[in-house]
Amino acid sequence: MSATLLDHSRSTRSRIHPFAWWAWAIVLSVVLFISSEPWFAAGLVVASAILVRAYKEITPWSRSFVVAMKFIAVILLIRMAIAILIGVPIPGTTIITLPTFQLPEWIAGIRLGGPVTTERLTSTLGEVMIIIGVVALFAAATSLTSPHRVIRAIPLAFYQLGLVLTIATSVFPQFVVAIRRITLARRLRGQEVRGLRHWRKIAIPLLEDALERSLDLAAAMESRGFGQRIRRSSYRPDHWGGLESAILASSLMVAAVIWFLPSQTPAFFFASGLFASWLVLFGRKRS
Amino acid sequence: MISFRNVSLIYPNSQTTVFEDVTFEVGEGEFILLIGSTGIGKSSALKLMNGLVPHHTGGILSGDIQVDGISTRGVRPGELSHLIGIVGQNPIHGFVTDIVEEEIAFAMESLAIPESAMRKRVEEVLDLLALTPMRSRTIATLSGGEQQRVAIASALVMNPKILLLDEPTSALDPIAAEEVLAILQRIVHDLGVTVVVAEHRLERVIHYADRIIHIASDGSVRVGFPSAVMKESEIAPPIVELARSLGAEEMPLSVRDARKVLISTAHQLADLVPASPERERVTQDRQPIVKIKGATLGYERNEVLSDISLEIRSGEVVALMGRNGAGKSTLMKAISGVIVPLEGEVSIEGRDPSAFTSAELVRMIGFVPQNPSDLLYGRSVLEECSLADSDQGLPGGSTLATLETLLPGIPASTHPRDLSEGQRLSLVLAIVLATDPRILILDEPTRGLDYPSKERLIELLRTRAKRERSILIATHDVELVAELADRVLFVADGELVSDGDVREVLTASLPFAPQVTKILAPQKWLTVKEVMDALDNA
Repeated sequence: MSATLLDHSRSTRSRIHPFAWWAWAIVLSVVLFISSEPWFAAGLVVASAILVRAYKEITPWSRSFVVAMKFIAVILLIRMAIAILIGVPIPGTTIITLPTFQLPEWIAGIRLGGPVTTERLTSTLGEVMIIIGVVALFAAATSLTSPHRVIRAIPLAFYQLGLVLTIATSVFPQFVVAIRRITLARRLRGQEVRGLRHWRKIAIPLLEDALERSLDLAAAMESRGFGQRIRRSSYRPDHWGGLESAILASSLMVAAVIWFLPSQTPAFFFASGLFASWLVLFGRKRS
Repeated sequence: MISFRNVSLIYPNSQTTVFEDVTFEVGEGEFILLIGSTGIGKSSALKLMNGLVPHHTGGILSGDIQVDGISTRGVRPGELSHLIGIVGQNPIHGFVTDIVEEEIAFAMESLAIPESAMRKRVEEVLDLLALTPMRSRTIATLSGGEQQRVAIASALVMNPKILLLDEPTSALDPIAAEEVLAILQRIVHDLGVTVVVAEHRLERVIHYADRIIHIASDGSVRVGFPSAVMKESEIAPPIVELARSLGAEEMPLSVRDARKVLISTAHQLADLVPASPERERVTQDRQPIVKIKGATLGYERNEVLSDISLEIRSGEVVALMGRNGAGKSTLMKAISGVIVPLEGEVSIEGRDPSAFTSAELVRMIGFVPQNPSDLLYGRSVLEECSLADSDQGLPGGSTLATLETLLPGIPASTHPRDLSEGQRLSLVLAIVLATDPRILILDEPTRGLDYPSKERLIELLRTRAKRERSILIATHDVELVAELADRVLFVADGELVSDGDVREVLTASLPFAPQVTKILAPQKWLTVKEVMDALDNA
């Protein structure tokens, strides 16, 4: 018996405490917001990608990093387009001058078209990079941590809240799968699956599917005694061990580097971002 | 153990009662089978037993239900979790965690059972259900049968006195179903647990049952021994149909019993040859509609089926069989042009199906997905039918008429969500069949259907086949294949392992043989009707 238990703990060594990556993401995003440094953001995006690759397991949520990055790329394009077309002019080197449109008096501060300057592009790109950086950090945390384990680690003082959180987190990954399935079924019925008018035909089965699943899940949780006791016991308690500390420490070290080292070049910031992944990978080897 | 006294139930916003004045009792350590027509209230009956109805669903309950001396009226289902385990129709919907072991431990965690006690119980249950090798696997990666076993394990870990299961085998292939049922039987025998199973596919479960609760179409409930209930029940597996048709006194329930009882019939049949006029209409000179030549199918970096070659002729009914995850849906997707073959060629009437316009696609292919609700978005059955008519440019009322032949008496004002699974499937079948496509592709079309509905479906599909419509059915339902198909394609391990006449394929493999075949082996009979026709003509 003891032998199997031993094997057991070894096989589950790779289970990282559900809060580790979240703590890592929170610390780094705070640093990123305070420093507001696009190159640091770029470094963090690369670091997140490296870590997701290194630690990813095959789970329904492991794809969320890729999905989130694709999603944010689209947002970025829209944001850039808006920044070029509309906005307060920033003087500087003009790259191209777009035809201007006369807007009514009451929105005098805003201009459509006009000269597009390098300065305007770089400042927008900078803002966007910070957002991408934060999204990448949290997307990495999401795809490396099981949502179910995060919830079970949170003390469940409120039964209903726990139920709602469990249902919400388990329904969203299913959403992606369900959309694909329903779109396929409808396409095979020869129906348009694009456009607003047809969205209803996908949205209704989708929502009903989600509702049905949620009800089933709630019923299953209820009949398995969920919420019967305020304190739950834990079958395999999550331990905060060496690896978890290494992950958190890495983010704190990056914060220290950014704060205390004098160098302020883009290369320095990019390297500090990358440092975040290198430290974790190094820590993994050691633990 | 479970007693219903004068129980009546009505759901909110509903005009009709589900049960009226139902009284019965179930003893300790029994294996109970709950049967009844599609949508009659089998799931409701199970949920009444652990209090999910009405505590979770709402509704008005009169009368009294007692479980092990506790009235379900006064306690929430959670308080009964140590006493009753329930496994729903779609176990995957009910999983709360990601890893097998953690799922099993979930109910114990809720009751704050100490870690050491939990470990011991988890080990026991893992052993009992043969889940030890996959203890740390992600549940989403398990096969249907394995998931079903995990669901049973997580209910059983609380050492309940009662285990309730809603259609535990309907999504499983025959082999996985056999495994799950054998485990249930062991639970009854070794642990003295009372097991109540609601199931449509009686041929799979009836020989395990100690007693049957039969909910008749008029809502009356009868409890009795299987042999007694089977003498008159309107739903009966092929084995009973055969015995009834032959006028047997005793109703055999297992293949073994049937072989004994029907031994004289077997001798009589030895000189006869099965004839099935429906099947002989497809001859070699029929034109092939679907052609697949040397095709490798799948997705980038993930080949699912390799080097497949086959043809489907017009008017042919082809069954596609194989274990869960063998590649059945990939083949269906390739035929309907959703995925393009990685290598080789797939064509319909000489054209690439992925190049069809949507209008052509609808005229060519009718697809019924495994999850029929995917096609439903109306607010009532009637609206659904008229939307289908206008979408496809059909004369008003044609979809509703098709539905009437398939499943008469569905109230037209019901919201599709409130239909039972079998009724919903019938509605989608009606929507698809109403357009009369050249090729019909059905993915598991008999889930949740009772025998009479299945019979009507078979009848309807046969008429289509006679009008030279080709039909491809992916299914685990061997009896359906035996009744309907001309040819069977069998996929396993990414290959088409057999492609042949239905009689040859089904009689050659033991787990995939229909009941009649098993009884009369080594003779090659497939259905009750065949046997009776042959005897009548002799």
